[in-house]
Amino acid sequence: MNKDFVRQAKDPFGNNEKNANWWNVLHVDPPLMISVCLLCCFGLFVLFSASGSDIDIVRRQAFTMFLGLVVMFLVAQLPPSFFRRWAPSIYFFGLGLLIVVLIIGVETNGAKSWLDLPGLPSFQPSELMKFVVPMSVAWHLGTRPIPPKFRHVFWSCMIIVLPALLVVLQNDMGTALMIVMSGVFVILLAGIQWKLVFSAIFAVIFASPVWYLFVALPHQKSRILTFFDPYRDPTGAGYNIIQSQIAIGSGGVYGKGYGNGAQSHLDFIPESNTDFIMAVLAEEFGLLGVAMLIFLYSSVLIRAGYISLRARDSFGRLLAGSVSLVFFLYIFVNMAMVSGLLPVIGLPLPLISRGGTSVVTLFVGFGLLMSVHTHSKTVVI
Amino acid sequence: MAGKWQLRDREAERAIFSGRLFVASVVCLVLFVILLINLFNLQVMQHEYFSSRADGNRLHSQYVAPSRGLIFDSAGALLADNQPIFNLTVVREQVPDLDASLALVGELIDLSIDDLTSFKTRSERNRVPFASVPLRYILSEEEKARIAVNGHRLPGFSIESQFVRHYPFDKLNAHALGYVAEINQSELDGFDEARRESYGGSNHIGKTGIERTYEELLHGQVGYEIVEKNNRGQVMRRLDRTDPVAGADLTLFLQNELQTVANQALGENRGAVVAIEPSTGGILAMISKPGFDPNLFVTGISRAEYSQLVTDEVNTPLFDRSTNPYPPASTVKPFIGLGGLALEVIDKDFTIDDPGYFRLPGVSYRWGDYTLRTAIGGGHGLTDLKKAIYQSCDTFFYDLGNRMGIEQIHDFMSLFGFGQNFALDVPYARTGVLPSRNWKSQTRGEPWYPGDTINSSIGQGYMWATPLQLATATAILANRGEVVEPRMLKAIDGISYSPSAEKSVSPLKIAQEHLSYVEDAMTMVVHRPFSDVFRDYGTAYEAIAMKDPEMEYEIAGKSGSAQVVSIAQNILQSADIDTSDLNKDHALFVAYGPARHPSIDPQIAVAVFVENGEQGSSVAGPIAKAVIDEYLLEILSIDFGLINNSLPEELSQR
Repeated sequence: MNKDFVRQAKDPFGNNEKNANWWNVLHVDPPLMISVCLLCCFGLFVLFSASGSDIDIVRRQAFTMFLGLVVMFLVAQLPPSFFRRWAPSIYFFGLGLLIVVLIIGVETNGAKSWLDLPGLPSFQPSELMKFVVPMSVAWHLGTRPIPPKFRHVFWSCMIIVLPALLVVLQNDMGTALMIVMSGVFVILLAGIQWKLVFSAIFAVIFASPVWYLFVALPHQKSRILTFFDPYRDPTGAGYNIIQSQIAIGSGGVYGKGYGNGAQSHLDFIPESNTDFIMAVLAEEFGLLGVAMLIFLYSSVLIRAGYISLRARDSFGRLLAGSVSLVFFLYIFVNMAMVSGLLPVIGLPLPLISRGGTSVVTLFVGFGLLMSVHTHSKTVVI
Repeated sequence: MAGKWQLRDREAERAIFSGRLFVASVVCLVLFVILLINLFNLQVMQHEYFSSRADGNRLHSQYVAPSRGLIFDSAGALLADNQPIFNLTVVREQVPDLDASLALVGELIDLSIDDLTSFKTRSERNRVPFASVPLRYILSEEEKARIAVNGHRLPGFSIESQFVRHYPFDKLNAHALGYVAEINQSELDGFDEARRESYGGSNHIGKTGIERTYEELLHGQVGYEIVEKNNRGQVMRRLDRTDPVAGADLTLFLQNELQTVANQALGENRGAVVAIEPSTGGILAMISKPGFDPNLFVTGISRAEYSQLVTDEVNTPLFDRSTNPYPPASTVKPFIGLGGLALEVIDKDFTIDDPGYFRLPGVSYRWGDYTLRTAIGGGHGLTDLKKAIYQSCDTFFYDLGNRMGIEQIHDFMSLFGFGQNFALDVPYARTGVLPSRNWKSQTRGEPWYPGDTINSSIGQGYMWATPLQLATATAILANRGEVVEPRMLKAIDGISYSPSAEKSVSPLKIAQEHLSYVEDAMTMVVHRPFSDVFRDYGTAYEAIAMKDPEMEYEIAGKSGSAQVVSIAQNILQSADIDTSDLNKDHALFVAYGPARHPSIDPQIAVAVFVENGEQGSSVAGPIAKAVIDEYLLEILSIDFGLINNSLPEELSQR
């Protein structure tokens, strides 16, 4: 290896503290950056095997990730005060986009959620709302003293429910649920009384049978039933989860080795590039591989948590905190779903699953985190 | 807004957030731990279980069909081989819309309703997931091309090659060889576990004839292979293989050239020819006409073709005349005559004065002499056994039969295989009827009348025998009383096959002089010329010996003309069928040769049956002669050098 390269490569990482200011000027947080990049590499590595050694798919995914990094860098350049100031405008702009989608959106996989505007790559406005909603709630609660008063919580709920309903109208329950959760995290972190939290939890528990009996659509009911007993329809509704469990279980502690996952390479795992890619990982790298992934995720989460704690004001704290928790929710829901702990909801595994908009959306989140961290050190409000 | 002027305690706010974030972190940690516990449970505790499930997913054991044994005639001509055909097959699991795909296939190639219905039954029988089910057999090159070009529109459809039975001589050997066809559900149900497994990879099974008799030898042993299949059932790798063992190649006594000659000699007639080598019992020829094309059955005969075969009630091509019984008529006379001598009921000098009819004592009814029905009237005059045979005198045998009684006739005739199946490997051959008092009381519940004996003694009445039985009995006669058990199989995989040495029937103890006497009489049937003496010629002289004055050897024979017992009502009432010919007598002829030869034992015994042939001697006789000629002249010239046939030129030049 070139000596110069080694020296150059070593310097920025080796002398982190010394160059901290330099990174602040660029508005990049090195620990988060490194963790995210490691995750991306790991993800490309798994995707190469999961896609059946299709280098094109991996190349496209790498390009998307690079695009994400650029977006992250751009978002990080804007200070939190910018987002706080413009949060209401962005929110109403996002609502507008959701309404536009309802009118001229493109339908894929049963959800009318894509916007295909001329001159722009097609994208899902609902994905963006996963950050626009917490940002707006953080604006609403963060500019007021916390813990919030009841009426502020009420208005926060309105901020959450409006876009969530529009997404439900698009027939995309999974995303709607994530939007709701991203907003709810802000309310929780803002210090809402536990009394209210538990009453809400009980309300949900008591409402769920009512939902199941009177509101739930047939395919939703079937997913719930399949969750409790995948073998009631082993070749139909239960097929995905059964095959995915077989893949995970047969992986064992050490896995079958890279590229040797019979379940995925013989196409027994559906969606092996996207939602069920964890099964491929678990089959080929075993429990150790999954532990490794959880370790990488944890390093991102811990850094994100640290950033939220260190944020200078409530808005930054709430925004960074909710972004971190949304990231966690993605990870947990996907892994739990693939291993049979939760009903199947179409959610990707962050940075590992193949995807376009969802990957870029994640990087927007990282960009927000970096914005909160790097600007708060230089700009004091 | 209220919050704007309220004093904010930034440290308290930070503390609230820190507390909440701490709670959230703990919740996250707990959830990760739950996740890991679940993964530990799946990947460590239940690892074994899921590993075997994963193997069960991908590893499939499948059968490899053995190739069916070939069948050769005794000269090495291939009578049944296996040829590749191309079939259109369907894997149901891979077809998203079967009806639409079938409609598309129907536009591309010719797809009959038969194809569709049998496809349906096939796909319901013996269902294995992702098994390919044949839809259309034998695609032509053009059809193959059309399917291939449209392959992308037909997911789950593919063209597979397969080896199937092929009978190169189609109609010629149809009844003797039989045919293979698709296994049906009732056959599968009849199999035990091991047998069903051995047919795991095969679609076909022998249905009739040799194909059925030697099914187990011909079938071979099924092979296995373990393959890795993907989710769509495509084979990705072969992991292990046990090769199938091909079925045994069978060599038959049957001679294809003799079959051809017999077939030609029968001409347009309906009938049967059976030829047996007396020394071995080998069946040299076994023909039933009309035949059918056995190749039709291999890949599933169409409804139209099948109904054509079964609705032809006069020709009944599927009916094997060589192994089904008819009244043997006068062909039984040599045997009954021999019985009379052997049992000392009469002797050589015994004569009757034949008035042309026979009366039982005290009964006014006259049994006429059928052989004289159309002749001048009167009888044969003074007649001994020899004359009774070569003139086929019914009256003599009425008298002889009456003297012997039915029990003696039954016991003696049964030594020649009448009423039984002596054949070792023609299990489907019928046994006919050799009547007796017991038989009649058991099957009909009636007593035996003296008149029944009279009818039986000229091979009519209750007596029924198959051409195969007649050939067998004749061969026993030719073998000078040594029992002959007819058999088809000569060698297995080129190694000569001999059935267990113990004959199931003990040899006859008949004095050689009696046998010689009957042989003389039978030779006279063919060779005794016309003379001045009234009614003193062999009945077949005119048709055989007179036509071939330079015969190199003598034939011992006996003609027969059997009265048609009944014609089915539906045939009689059918407007389409001309019934005038169906009342005609059946013509029969039994013969062996060479007879009375100083150095050579008889080499071939033949029975010929011609349905509604009218005259045994003139219709069936020449057919027997042609068959014996074909077989004997070559043997005599090569093996015994008795005939001075100059070698063909190209052979002598070598």
